[in-house]
Amino acid sequence: MNPRKILEALNTCLKNAMQKSLGKHGLVFPIDPGAIDDEYLKEICRRFEAIFDMINESYHYSERLAQGDLKSKVSRSNIFAMPLKGLQASLNHLTWQARQISEGDLNQQVDFLGEFSESFNQMISSLREKKIIEQRLKQITDVLAEGVFLVDSQGKIIFANPKAIRLMGYRFEEIQGCPIHEIIHKQKPDGTLYKTEKNPLFVAIKSGENYNNDDGVFTCKSGFLMPVSIACRVVFKADTWDGAVIAFRDITEQKKHLQTLEAINTLLEKQAITDPLTGIYNRIKFNQSLAFEMKRAERYNTPMALIMFDIDHFKKVNDTYGHSAGDNVLKSLTKLVSANIRKIDVFARWGGEEFVIQAPGTSLDDAKKLAEKLRTKIEAYDFIEPKNITASFGISIFQSGDDNITVINRADEALYRAKHGGRNQVVSHA
Amino acid sequence: MQDIYDFEWEHLGDLSEGRPNLGSETSVLVYRLMQYSFKDVFSKEVGKKKTLDLFVKAGSLAGKAFCKNILDTSMPFAEFIADLKEKLISLKIGILMIEEADEQKLEFVLTVSEDLDCSGLPIFGESVCDYDEGFIAGILEEYTGKKFRVKEIDCWATGDRTCRFKAKPIKG
Repeated sequence: MNPRKILEALNTCLKNAMQKSLGKHGLVFPIDPGAIDDEYLKEICRRFEAIFDMINESYHYSERLAQGDLKSKVSRSNIFAMPLKGLQASLNHLTWQARQISEGDLNQQVDFLGEFSESFNQMISSLREKKIIEQRLKQITDVLAEGVFLVDSQGKIIFANPKAIRLMGYRFEEIQGCPIHEIIHKQKPDGTLYKTEKNPLFVAIKSGENYNNDDGVFTCKSGFLMPVSIACRVVFKADTWDGAVIAFRDITEQKKHLQTLEAINTLLEKQAITDPLTGIYNRIKFNQSLAFEMKRAERYNTPMALIMFDIDHFKKVNDTYGHSAGDNVLKSLTKLVSANIRKIDVFARWGGEEFVIQAPGTSLDDAKKLAEKLRTKIEAYDFIEPKNITASFGISIFQSGDDNITVINRADEALYRAKHGGRNQVVSHA
Repeated sequence: MQDIYDFEWEHLGDLSEGRPNLGSETSVLVYRLMQYSFKDVFSKEVGKKKTLDLFVKAGSLAGKAFCKNILDTSMPFAEFIADLKEKLISLKIGILMIEEADEQKLEFVLTVSEDLDCSGLPIFGESVCDYDEGFIAGILEEYTGKKFRVKEIDCWATGDRTCRFKAKPIKG
């Protein structure tokens, strides 16, 4: 084979390769060096054959690397494969680094790989910042005085801070992955179970709505229904709601204080309108009620009577038997009278041993009958110390245009006449 | 004159005082010139195998001293490697990369690119980074407290483009 023919064969081979790429068979040296007689030409062709083999091997090596085969091997003497070996070593190291990062090692850095180094190292920097934020968030949730749950879009618990765990009495592993509306917020304050579709927390989570309730209960592991104030806020991922954060406070003590306060308020209100000795209304309450009843009587043109009565010779009772006995007489008297008037009548202690009765819808005749009934009851009652007492009664009837003072004064004036008429009698204002 | 010489880190001297103008750095050429000329002379005096053994031992001595004086052995593994990598780059010794690491078994495959000993060398057919084998073993021994065998499995001199080492603890 002469040199020209060798070159022509080479040219055809290279032309094909450049037009059609290396293909499955690669770049094949078209001449068999063994068939060449000239030793010098033979050596050149052998060298060309070796170079062609190296090109092929290098090409296939780079193909395997491109497909991610990082264990790929190539012959040591292949000069074309050498830069690729450097690339393979870098890729192997990057693989190890990626694994390290996934396990939380944020010390990794990439050097001398141009833009890739920049991007990679920036990613590590961002991950470090994210880790710091996460650590801070954890510190915050750890010290919060409120319990915090984080649930996914199905309401399943994915996080609980230490306070929530402590309050509920569970270990986190016991409630992780459980729907919060089936294990924590499953009962109403009266203890009955919510139907899932009516459970307000479940509804809020599924519909992506915020939810507040200052009067809810959470069910602790022990079964105790803990009164809680709940705030539920939706969490978003991209533009879709993706679960919720539920913060809650144990308001057991608060409720107790509230109940105590309410009881105290009720007591104070009662004390403000009640005579402390006898337990019946005092003058303040009577005046309030009287004003109201007179307006009603005026509006509907209905009768209203006022009966004022006073224990006869009460000073003598105190002087003879002592103030304690006098107090007992007052208490017994008020019980007796209360038992003999209607529920709608307002009975109050006017002062000392003086009492008043407001009888709505009562005419003068009826008032007289009532007063007389009470007078005889009192006269007949055994008060023990003293055995018997009497009382004098004055009656006035509401007239249009009256106010508290005018109607009371008339009753008082009638009472005065009863006293001066000999006591133990009923006198009405003419 | 004593019969033996015991190396100490302080023997490296104070370069800021000794080289106020030329500074503390020189070229890789100078380093290689010294290393390869030593290899030549020693191999002719004591044989090649003994020479390579001595280079490994010297590398180990240097690695331990380097670790003691330059690195922080109290760091956890990941941070220690990151620190080692940074120091090797800043001192222009080489670019360290880990390919495999089993922290339980203490077995590693690591590469050092652009290293002092062989990067840019032609293919000799055998690896030449004996001193580096010892250097890496010395660092690992100082950090873990265990003796290591480090073998170079790829080298510029064998046709690769990085020096690849396998490190394993010596049992017993």
